[in-house]
Amino acid sequence: MSGDKMVMRAWTRAQSRLGRRQAMPVMGCGMLAGLVAVGQAWCVASILARGLVGPGTAAWPGAGQLLAALAGLALLRALLLALGDVSAARAGRGARARLRDEVLGAILRGGPALLRRRHSAELTALAVDRIEALDGFFARWIPASVLWIAVPGLIAALAALMQPGAGLIMIVCGLAVPVGQAVFGIGAAVASRNQFLAMTRLQARFLDRVRGIATIVLLNRADDEAGRLADAADELRRRTMKVLRVAFLSSASIDCAMVVALVLIVVRDGGMVQVLRHGGASAALADAVARSLFVLLLVPEFFAPLRALALAYQDRAHASGAASAMGDLPDGTVSAATARGAVPVLSEGGVSVAFENVTFAWDAARGPVFEALSFTVPAGEILTLVGPSGAGKSTIIEMLLGFIVPDSGRVLVGGVDLATMAPATQSGLISWIGQKPVLFAGTLRENILFARPDADEDALRAALHAAAVDRFAADLPEGLDTPIGEGGFGLSGGQAQRVAIARAYLKDAPLLLLDEPTAHLDPETESEIFASLRILARGRTVILSSHAAGVRAFAGPCLDLGKMRCSQPGAGLMAPVEEGHVHV
Amino acid sequence: MSDRSLSGRAAEDRDGLVPVLCIMGLWKRRAPRLAAGAVLSLLALLAGLVLMRGAGARMAGLAFGGAVAGLVVLRASGVARVVLRYVERLVTHDAMFRALADIRVWFFRRLAGGAAAGLGFRRAGDLLSRLVSDVEALDGLYLRIMVPLAGACLVLPFLVLAIGPVDPVLAVLVGGLFVVGAFVLPLAAALMGRREAAILTHRLADLRIGVLDLVTGLREIRAFGAEGRMLSHARARDAALLRGQARQARLLAVMGGVSYLCGQAAVLAVLAAILGVGLGPIPAARGVGLLFLVIAGFESAGGLTRAGALAGGISRAAARVVAVGESDGPAVSVGTRPAPVGTDIRFEQVSFRWQADRAAVFDGLNLEIRQGARVAILGPSGIGKSSLAALLLKVASPSSGRIMLGGEDLATLESGSVRQRMAWLSQATHLFADTIRANLLLGRPDATEADLWTALDRAQVGDVVRALPEGLDAWLGEGGASLSGGQGRRIALARTLLSDAPILILDEPATGLDAETEREFLTTLYDVTAGRTVILIAHRLVGVEKLDRVWRLSDGKAVAAAV
Repeated sequence: MSGDKMVMRAWTRAQSRLGRRQAMPVMGCGMLAGLVAVGQAWCVASILARGLVGPGTAAWPGAGQLLAALAGLALLRALLLALGDVSAARAGRGARARLRDEVLGAILRGGPALLRRRHSAELTALAVDRIEALDGFFARWIPASVLWIAVPGLIAALAALMQPGAGLIMIVCGLAVPVGQAVFGIGAAVASRNQFLAMTRLQARFLDRVRGIATIVLLNRADDEAGRLADAADELRRRTMKVLRVAFLSSASIDCAMVVALVLIVVRDGGMVQVLRHGGASAALADAVARSLFVLLLVPEFFAPLRALALAYQDRAHASGAASAMGDLPDGTVSAATARGAVPVLSEGGVSVAFENVTFAWDAARGPVFEALSFTVPAGEILTLVGPSGAGKSTIIEMLLGFIVPDSGRVLVGGVDLATMAPATQSGLISWIGQKPVLFAGTLRENILFARPDADEDALRAALHAAAVDRFAADLPEGLDTPIGEGGFGLSGGQAQRVAIARAYLKDAPLLLLDEPTAHLDPETESEIFASLRILARGRTVILSSHAAGVRAFAGPCLDLGKMRCSQPGAGLMAPVEEGHVHV
Repeated sequence: MSDRSLSGRAAEDRDGLVPVLCIMGLWKRRAPRLAAGAVLSLLALLAGLVLMRGAGARMAGLAFGGAVAGLVVLRASGVARVVLRYVERLVTHDAMFRALADIRVWFFRRLAGGAAAGLGFRRAGDLLSRLVSDVEALDGLYLRIMVPLAGACLVLPFLVLAIGPVDPVLAVLVGGLFVVGAFVLPLAAALMGRREAAILTHRLADLRIGVLDLVTGLREIRAFGAEGRMLSHARARDAALLRGQARQARLLAVMGGVSYLCGQAAVLAVLAAILGVGLGPIPAARGVGLLFLVIAGFESAGGLTRAGALAGGISRAAARVVAVGESDGPAVSVGTRPAPVGTDIRFEQVSFRWQADRAAVFDGLNLEIRQGARVAILGPSGIGKSSLAALLLKVASPSSGRIMLGGEDLATLESGSVRQRMAWLSQATHLFADTIRANLLLGRPDATEADLWTALDRAQVGDVVRALPEGLDAWLGEGGASLSGGQGRRIALARTLLSDAPILILDEPATGLDAETEREFLTTLYDVTAGRTVILIAHRLVGVEKLDRVWRLSDGKAVAAAV
């Protein structure tokens, strides 16, 4: 927990440093607006003093001039306010764009292995919603955390120039705020975080119950659950109110300090003014009244940044939550260890594949998936992997795809160790069809061109025909330009698999990896897909992982991982088992 | 967008205020508290106004030698300001929490009661999540909009009444400026906000889809070496969102600036009146008090422009929330009679479609399932196998024909008692983020500890649960004991087995399990369901199911197939 907190604090500090640079214009505007506010207060005070006791010394500007100056300052301040808002929003946007880039980059670097640990919805929420929620941290909290000292300091200093006593009162009352925050604030900080957590938990519960609404309704538990939801919300309210009672004291301390400052200044200056009035010196009286009003008008300006800080505190709470979620992502450093430029040997009909004493464990505690596994697939051959789930079928395929690397041993493709190949070379060698292809939000055409965006119309047409996509594409509402994927036209499992086959044709790689490509299809569709895959397999090396029916779909050797594991743990060289030796 | 199909159309046609009023209607029960919060907030505001006015008037009075506002008033209003503000915040927050809970419970009941249950049935998980975020957007309605707006409504007459006796022209001028700053500009921001919120929601959804594509497609991306392309794609969507937000921020900043200038114009008008330039002249001593009043009054309305911009988004969210359950899916007849003892099921010439503009799922379907029979209903995905379950469970009703349960028309039977007769297990069956015990008890709330273990053992997951350090109290879902997909399905099966319903509807119960686990799962199923009617809905048989009858769905009808 304390380690977690350290990570969080380090993240917050690093982000604050980065964010502060972007928040510079916001702070600049805030400081200038503070200065303008002082000018405004001076103009207003002078006008009032003139109205009350007539012009003071001869050096005083005329009434019209003062009004014009005040109007000018007001325009300037409005401009600074708007500029400050715009640049705060810009700082927030800049930071979010940067963070989103980092997170997406980290997700891409982490690759498919990341999906074993984290749910895709969770990662999406991190990259989208969590980062959106951070806007306030960069747009409001960071500027506020600097301005709350700078602006009151500036105002108090200028007030002290005019009236040292009143300036002192402001500073003393201003200092009382951090003291008050320290007394109640420690509680408030904890309370605010707890409240945020409790709130998040309630929201999660609500979301969970709504997602499972069908289950609840069909179990006849809707009333029960509604009652429980109400109870949970009420419980949250009672607990939250208990902490808010303390938390609000800290902002009450700002109010209190401001009222005390106001009253003290009125009492002190009031006394002075009265003495002067009885003295009868009109010029000195006007001057004193102007000064007193000036200081009085500055009091709300003095406390405004303190209030802004208290308001921005919840933005900080959001940041802490996001920090721990982001801390889990893979680091930004890319291992540039080896010069990866090796080029594999390609033959006419595919490329050879060999595993040499490969050992791999997903989790050291659960033991290796396979130990010292060795097998060879000559170019153009077809190898079928069989075995119960967990035997390592998918692991072999993911290793060839480069999603994971062996703990020891080598994986050779075209006679070259995968580890020495540049990623682009590696991905150029391999086509892959999994259980359910991901269809991206976009048209059918875009989804197929995903495999090779620069493919020309002829190549596309050939791939469509070979994969028999053209057979169903014609029936779609807008043919090839029908939107599919999220929010688009739904394709059936078989149709989606045909899109994947068309992708593979377009890519035309020498090694074809098939990972249970028909697991979710009915038998009729399954046999059609296998027929297409047999054509696709011509002139390529194929490694197929499949259940019962799949084994009969391709002629060729089988590798039974389950048997190997049970009967010969840590087997050495394992010759591919001939077809027919496998019982399914 | 997919949400258009649910409620978007209805929501967009509607006026912005109606759904918000509907939400506020829910709060009738909380009216005293909400009103108390608003009144306290007004009193706190008033104390603030009196304090500033008093401070100014006292200074002026001392300088001018006129009537001097007493220090007592100043001190009293100061103390009142601090105390009232504190109490107000407590009361308004308390009221907000209560109101918020009401909305959630109301929304949940509505979702559960209406046709929207069918929505959940059809696994629209993402759509439901979006609706939940709409409900959460309503949180700001009371604290950030209603309370400040009520404040502005009080400040306006207070300002006019305070200035009026001194100088009616000035009163009209200041009042007009206040109306612009506190009502016209926020209203403009709200109208603009509605439009902008729609654009931004759309772009945010685009970004979410782009990122979801990138995350779920990680394998494809790696396999095709498409990292750069996908990243720039997501970046482009992010940039579009940020551009929209930038425009909104600029507009808001301009409006904020104009709103500030309204306040400053009012201050200038009061000062000009004091000096007798163009306006007035008014007595300086009173003028000072008025000036402080004007400053404080406009300050209280300063946040309304931003609140207005927020209101646009909130009214859209409210429209979507209110529209839930109104428009979606075919209506379900509410029966009144309890379900009979017999559990023979007969579909007689049943026709059904989910929506009027969609193709018919069933067209003259006839099917008979005897009490205690074990049947399978097969067909490729999308043929309407799940609709069959929906019809039986009274989540949907046939457009023609009828379904008989124990010799009585299902439409006349009370849905709660029908569902007591049927236990449903499908891939969409939800395991809640809660303890294993709580998840199981949903199946039968009065089950004993022994019952729970029996059910877990029969679902062959008892040993797994025993091995967990917290046993039955282990937490499922996020942040909990992570069970594999197969183990999760088995817990759901245990819950289904706990219910003593005589009919079990198993809708693709093994989807997502690998072949080996699927076989084991289906074998278990056979052993533990003896004596009950079992309706197995699947796209293919594995071979271990022991069935009395198999039907194949095609062309909206059921055709008997070989066992």
